Amino acid sequence: METSLTALRSRPRTVIACVLIVLAAFTAEARRWAVSTPLSIQAKSSLPARAVLTETAKSLIPMPPNTPSAHASTLASVPGGMLAFWWAGSRESGPDVKVYASRWANGKWSAPWEVASRESLGKALGFGVRRIGNPVAWTAPDGRVHLYVVATGLGGWAASRIVHMVSSDAGARFETRRMLPLSPLFNTSVLVRTSPVGLADGGWWLPLYFEIGIKYPMLMAFDRDGEPTRVGRIGESMSTLQPAIVRVSPTEVRAWMRDAGGEQRVQQAVSRDDGASWEDLPSLDLSSHNTSLAVIRLTSGEMLMLHNHVGADDSSRSTLRLSISKDGQVWRTIGDIADGKDGDEFSYPTMHQVGQELHITYTYQRQAIAHHTYRIATGENI
Amino acid sequence: MSLPDLAFQIVYGRLAWGIVLLALVAALIPPGWRLGRRVLGATAAGVALLMALPGSTSPAWGLGLAFQYPSGLLVGCCLLGLHARWRKEPVPVMMPVSLAAPLAIAGAALYLDAMGLLAQGYYYAAFGPVGAPLLALLGVAGCALAIARGQQRGQVRGHALVLLGALLLYTLLRLPSGNLWDAILDPLLWGWAVVALVRHGLRRYARSKRRGGEADQGLTPELQPVDLQPLFAAGGIEHLSSSKEQVSGKQ
Repeated sequence: METSLTALRSRPRTVIACVLIVLAAFTAEARRWAVSTPLSIQAKSSLPARAVLTETAKSLIPMPPNTPSAHASTLASVPGGMLAFWWAGSRESGPDVKVYASRWANGKWSAPWEVASRESLGKALGFGVRRIGNPVAWTAPDGRVHLYVVATGLGGWAASRIVHMVSSDAGARFETRRMLPLSPLFNTSVLVRTSPVGLADGGWWLPLYFEIGIKYPMLMAFDRDGEPTRVGRIGESMSTLQPAIVRVSPTEVRAWMRDAGGEQRVQQAVSRDDGASWEDLPSLDLSSHNTSLAVIRLTSGEMLMLHNHVGADDSSRSTLRLSISKDGQVWRTIGDIADGKDGDEFSYPTMHQVGQELHITYTYQRQAIAHHTYRIATGENI
Repeated sequence: MSLPDLAFQIVYGRLAWGIVLLALVAALIPPGWRLGRRVLGATAAGVALLMALPGSTSPAWGLGLAFQYPSGLLVGCCLLGLHARWRKEPVPVMMPVSLAAPLAIAGAALYLDAMGLLAQGYYYAAFGPVGAPLLALLGVAGCALAIARGQQRGQVRGHALVLLGALLLYTLLRLPSGNLWDAILDPLLWGWAVVALVRHGLRRYARSKRRGGEADQGLTPELQPVDLQPLFAAGGIEHLSSSKEQVSGKQ
């Protein structure tokens, strides 16, 4: 002890510098703790009512010129309409793949415009982006549109990162906020695909998934300003991805996942503490031959699921089936939104409820994005 | 979660990769060549110029594409090597076991968890609003105390200094990513720690074998000490004499 004190006394400048450094560090953290506010999240719980769906329109969203390949659409509400985002280019992973947007207003889609490319993202981030992938959109309570885009590093989809972009003018222009930090492995191997889920406090959950051989679902929570608040894994499975999340009650949350394992059934997990911890559940008796699905909870309380049904004469993505459930456990088939022959592809569905309208988009033959609209009414049966 | 601004990250990326690149270039200069301050200064100026180039012409473009950002600790270790070269002191050989062992063990757990083989959420926990910052503050205080006492050997004191720098980068600016793990560890640094541990282990094994040979000299008088150089060469670390060289060996 005496030796230590002597050493401290003999180095007054070093000691003062060290004390100042420690004080500066404590002050910086204390300021952050002082401004942080505890999260209070509440969800409305309602008893399911019966809903009636009536198809009112279907069309293909206009494609940009010279882009034969299109995939992975997402929808977001904006004042006076809705936005669709998807990626398009010469082929998947091609250097010319870009994210495009189109606006739905007065019953028709606008001409598409470019939202993100390798070049634009690289310029904004200060380092290179090799491939562009799935976009996912969300409109915050303040009207700003948040867009999450898969942008890979060096390598294939296993090198995926997620760029967070924000638009303050209903999607006309986007600014890059940051690359979301999601993995310690050079921040790679995390992707987005399925739609975010709104929270009662104005925040939202962004479903994510890890994919590099092993696949597992995740979610990242955002506050109402679009700042991340936490990130975590959903369950402990190692062959499920692309979680479609629905909040069933103030505490219960359910997630349905694409199955990349041998069971080829829709996988599911449940959280009984509002997403803090998750438990894997037995799979549903619904097909999932490694294909993406969408689930939405209507304002009536019932849940709709769009997934690729695989019958005797179907290939894994040739039939897109709509099912309904009151409790998330028992699902009843409503009908097939798209039904083709072996080898056709109707995949990567997205659903979005705007008032009493249900909008559905999906990948049409890998060449375009199809759009269906349904009128929702409370009634006896669908 | 408290994340850094993208503008800070871009500046950090350029500076940090510039330091790592400079350390790498300095390490690759053959030992026979005299690396004077003038040459080192000119190399630093050249690297700084390269890093400042716009867009894809800058090495930061490709390094960020592949590795995103280096950890603050990796940058600090590279700075330590450069500092020794500047002062014409012996460049720290490998990483001390006291640093390499915890990095290697923690990194193994972290990466197994991130790969999905564990489900403990180690990486996510380091975004926490209280636990991770508190841990970083304790680390800052510990490093500052170690430096103020000034009793440790030079190399250990140097590593306490770079650890302090990495933790301060996180505490003050949340760089490089807002996650405490990313401030003190990245896969390149982890690889370096593992190589350092293996080398320490091999040296220890060689010493014990040599001692055993000396004890049995009467029975096996022809037994010679093991020459480890070929093993190090196979691991790409034969000529490594500084932090950056070890990093290059891992890459």
